[in-house]
Amino acid sequence: MRQLCLFVLLVGPILAADYKPPKTAWGDPDLQGTWTSDDTRGVPMERDTKLGERRYLTEQELAAREKQVQQGQERLLNPGNNASPARAQAEALAAGTPVTNAGNGRGVDIAPAPSHWVEAARRASHATSQVIDPPDGRIPALTPEAQKRLAAKNELRRARPASWENWSAYDRCITRGVAGSILPVIYGNGLEIHQGPGQVAIVYEMVHDHRIIPISTAANPIQHADAKIKSYIGDAIGHWEGSTLVVETTNFIGGVLAVGVNGDGGPPYSDQLKLTEKFTRTAANSIDFEMTVNDPGTYVKPWTVAFPITQEPGYEIFEYACHEGNHAIPNSLSAARAEDAADAKKK
Amino acid sequence: MTPANWNLEDHSSAAPPDFHLGAIGAEPPGQGVVEGGTIPYKADALAKRQDNFKNRWKLDPEVKCYLPGIPRAAYMPYPFEIVQSAGNIFFAYEYATANRTVNITKPREAAVDTWMGTSNGKWMGDTLVVDVTGFNGKSWFDRAGNYASDALHVTERYTLIDANTINYEATIEDPSVFTRAWKISFPLYRHREKGARLLEFKCVEYTEELLYGDLKKK
Repeated sequence: MRQLCLFVLLVGPILAADYKPPKTAWGDPDLQGTWTSDDTRGVPMERDTKLGERRYLTEQELAAREKQVQQGQERLLNPGNNASPARAQAEALAAGTPVTNAGNGRGVDIAPAPSHWVEAARRASHATSQVIDPPDGRIPALTPEAQKRLAAKNELRRARPASWENWSAYDRCITRGVAGSILPVIYGNGLEIHQGPGQVAIVYEMVHDHRIIPISTAANPIQHADAKIKSYIGDAIGHWEGSTLVVETTNFIGGVLAVGVNGDGGPPYSDQLKLTEKFTRTAANSIDFEMTVNDPGTYVKPWTVAFPITQEPGYEIFEYACHEGNHAIPNSLSAARAEDAADAKKK
Repeated sequence: MTPANWNLEDHSSAAPPDFHLGAIGAEPPGQGVVEGGTIPYKADALAKRQDNFKNRWKLDPEVKCYLPGIPRAAYMPYPFEIVQSAGNIFFAYEYATANRTVNITKPREAAVDTWMGTSNGKWMGDTLVVDVTGFNGKSWFDRAGNYASDALHVTERYTLIDANTINYEATIEDPSVFTRAWKISFPLYRHREKGARLLEFKCVEYTEELLYGDLKKK
């Protein structure tokens, strides 16, 4: 494993430069297939400040991460070792420490997952952080308005829920948004790319989200929809730069979703958000993904994350009918109203 | 373009469920899309359909923004888009951001039962034939309570009859609900408006008051 990684580290970039992606019947680079961001599980979003501007792990740090990857894979293969939601709840109750949500979000965000749900990295990433720009790997400072939005969001998430609006759009099974749909989490990191002449479609496993990206060319330039048409998944327009698919997305609903994990990490973004994604196929089973976040209403300057998405043997996406089976919201609201009633009795 | 989502069978216009909506909420009349006019239900299944109809404003999965299933996705009153390459074909529906991949290069057996089913396609001449199985039996065919079970098997046929029109046909088989296989058919028209694109209709938010309203803090 270690030798393999070294080989990739030293030779990878040279191979990538030489790699010519296959072409579709109409001559565009072919990105089609089922992909996953699993290999970036375990890579922190922001870099440890101690590492400064260093983008890659040292050999020693890499060895530690390789061990984590190996342990992650072993956990997947030995379901007996894994937490199940029912068992975790039962054990916590027996120990007199019922599972609470304090400070950690709610519902699917914190539920202990059985092993067959979970996804893990297959290879040890060399990256010290997902953020590659600014060079210190840290998300830029928030604007004062964004700080207010973040505080208001945290207050909603912390409070005993008065309604479904205390929860994230993901918990409510609405969407995780564009960024939240690809940033790696405990499961559901898969996506499919489909292409047709003049268009690319991306379908994300979680919450069965999809985007249709029309391809703009000099002969057939495409304009964004009118600013009055806003949505969670935004208005995407693509173009090719060499063999890189560049996708610019605007027309977002502001004040609800965040750029961070599951569409709820960090401050809700503003409707000024513009995301620029780049997809470059660097090998038969790998695409370099890069996403620049430009939201002057939220961050004092733009920032960029980068990680590979890979094709893995036997990896498929399934229907994630989230809203149809959402018991978390009614059950938690029901519990909150029971707590209200108990409080009223005490008085 | 077809009123089939109101009722696959022939139907007259009807009053709105809530008088506040006036003519906007009224049901438009429609000529059916079922070959032979009537869906061949078994006796007990017909009784269930009638019961569904009576309670349609409560029980129709569309009221709750649930996934539409197949064939209903093809005649929901929202557009859909087909992304087609030499390999698999992707169907993106505007309603509820529903979608499905039609496997062409590598047919897939339904691993689990789902709302949208598992779709495998093949080309027969100029017709795309899609075999859909693995349904969970929870979706309805329309707002009138027509339904099937998890034994549902749908065979769709998409045939371009001119540059902007597809003839759509679906054969419905479910021996636990129907006495025989039956068929629906209607044309699908291409949106030719300049710059037409699929927009976002995520309807979950519009159902939360209905689904969880009684659990809100008063």
